[in-house]
Amino acid sequence: MKTKRIFLIGILMLASLAIAFVNADKRNIQPIAYNHNKHVEENDMECLDCHVYAEENAQASIPNIEDCIVCHEEAVTESESESTLLSYIQENKVIPWRQVYVVPDYAYFSHRRHVKLGELDCTICHGDVGRFAEPISEPFVEPVMDWCMDCHEEKNVSNDCYACHR
Amino acid sequence: MPRWGMVIDLNKCTGCGECVAACKVENNVAIVGPEESANERTMLWMNILTTYEGEYPDVKVRHMPMLCMHCENPPCTKVCPVRATYLNEDGIVAQVFPQCIGCRYCQAACPYTVKSFNWYKPEWPEEMKKAVNPDVSVRPDGVVEKCTFCIHRLQKAKEQAAAEKRELQPGDYIPACVECCPTKAIYFGDFDDPKSEVNKLKRNPRAFQVLEDLGTEPKVYYLSEVE
Ligand code: HEC
Ligand code: HEC
Ligand code: HEC
Ligand code: HEC
Ligand code: HEC
Repeated sequence: MKTKRIFLIGILMLASLAIAFVNADKRNIQPIAYNHNKHVEENDMECLDCHVYAEENAQASIPNIEDCIVCHEEAVTESESESTLLSYIQENKVIPWRQVYVVPDYAYFSHRRHVKLGELDCTICHGDVGRFAEPISEPFVEPVMDWCMDCHEEKNVSNDCYACHR
Repeated sequence: MPRWGMVIDLNKCTGCGECVAACKVENNVAIVGPEESANERTMLWMNILTTYEGEYPDVKVRHMPMLCMHCENPPCTKVCPVRATYLNEDGIVAQVFPQCIGCRYCQAACPYTVKSFNWYKPEWPEEMKKAVNPDVSVRPDGVVEKCTFCIHRLQKAKEQAAAEKRELQPGDYIPACVECCPTKAIYFGDFDDPKSEVNKLKRNPRAFQVLEDLGTEPKVYYLSEVE
């Protein structure tokens, strides 16, 4: 009896490990398997078409159904990911994107400052997103303080604590 | 380099407390219950000091808004073992919250008693959670905090001026208390700018600084009340 139970527990543990392994391999944390490459490279869209506030605001903004509906009112592909998108649109539900790049509330980061005034390309901080076929699940560079300060040092920008901290 | 500073006209101040409320909301200053308040754990970056002069019935009530004086020679920064507080290039006494280890030396060193310590993890009632200002951090427990002259407003104002390709102008940057004062008793500006209004006001014969004998050189001036 006892050995049988241990055997069963062992199998269960192995099974859950295997599931964890497969999940870790995929690492997709986004609700829809969004494909940047198909939009940017194959359909000539600009970053600012979707991340519309990157030049005007602190937040670049992540687009949602009201932005996708322009082209995805009806299916344009036969992909599973698009049908997930269409069900969000039909139910008028907000897509719960998980924001991957985050700085804590005590630090001030502004896209306008860097993209518009600093004339920095998105790729410097986010990598060649336009070629990503998988949705973004981990940052290209962790937005930590040393990273901010190294570039500021190089470009002769203020590194006074109160330039960023609040 | 600018020297941001303030002049408060006590003739105009009615002690209404609008600045106190505006500051508390703007800066996500934690709400402390009545019991803790009775233990002197109230959290305020701006407070009204009320004094009574004379004997009943001839009592004269005086109000004086008190906040961080942003001293040019600050006693608090000298005792900080980790440089979480220092006088920055704009003349603002900075408090870098994640750098603070909560030793409270600076709080003890401040002769104006305007620093608060977070004894508790801040919590907002459900209805007020949406009112938390996203431009300002929510401080964790165990750190000292105080008025920052609304540094987040300066950061944004600098960016706005840069976007419009011009220098910062008077009025671009004012803290929340100044903006909200219904009698316009609080003036704010750059003491380093010879043309600024605050620069003229601080040379007014009514102008004084609190505990000026200490040599802390506060950048908050008051214009004394005259009948
Ligand atoms: C058709 C709309 C669209 C276009 C065009 C687009 N994006 Fe995105 N972007 C999204 C969506 C949807 C997400 C959320 C899903 C994800 O993370 O993959 C996203 C996420 C991101 C994120 C991650 C944000 C975070 O913190 O989670 C970055 C960075 C980003 N995009 C950069 C870019 C850049 C750079 C370009 C131009 C090369 C670009 N995007 C073009 C729709 C778009
Ligand atoms: C100097 C580095 C830098 C550059 C250049 C930059 N970003 Fe970001 N981006 C960040 C950081 C840091 C965050 C996290 C911000 C936060 O937590 O508020 C972020 C967050 C984002 C996000 C998610 C949160 C949001 O702001 O809505 C998107 C989307 C994004 N960036 C898109 C872009 C696009 C598109 C460009 C180019 C037009 C761009 N970024 C250029 C550093 C950069
Ligand atoms: C300007 C038009 C346009 C907008 C706006 C747009 N898309 Fe697309 N999208 C396309 C086109 C065209 C395709 C087909 C790409 C292909 O297969 O060549 C596509 C394909 C897709 C697919 C299927 C990809 C695959 O793997 O086959 C998904 C998912 C998708 N889009 C999501 C989104 C989301 C989410 C948004 C809103 C943030 C959005 N799209 C906004 C034009 C657009
Ligand atoms: C790749 C280079 C680069 C990185 C990385 C970078 N910055 Fe910057 N930053 C700049 C440049 C260039 C400017 C000046 C832009 C201008 O011309 O106005 C700037 C300006 C700023 C300013 C305004 C400074 C001032 O003088 O008032 C702040 C605040 C700021 N950055 C915050 C951050 C934070 C926070 C991070 C990290 C999350 C960061 N930056 C990462 C290049 C960078
Ligand atoms: C260019 C912008 C910038 C400047 C200048 C800056 N910081 Fe930071 N700081 C950040 C960002 C962004 C974070 C959050 C990311 C992280 O944890 O590294 C941070 C985090 C921190 C943390 C918490 C780190 C942790 O691991 O929890 C401390 C402490 C800190 N900063 C202290 C300082 C001090 C002291 C100064 C002045 C000497 C300073 N910072 C100047 C942007 C900046």
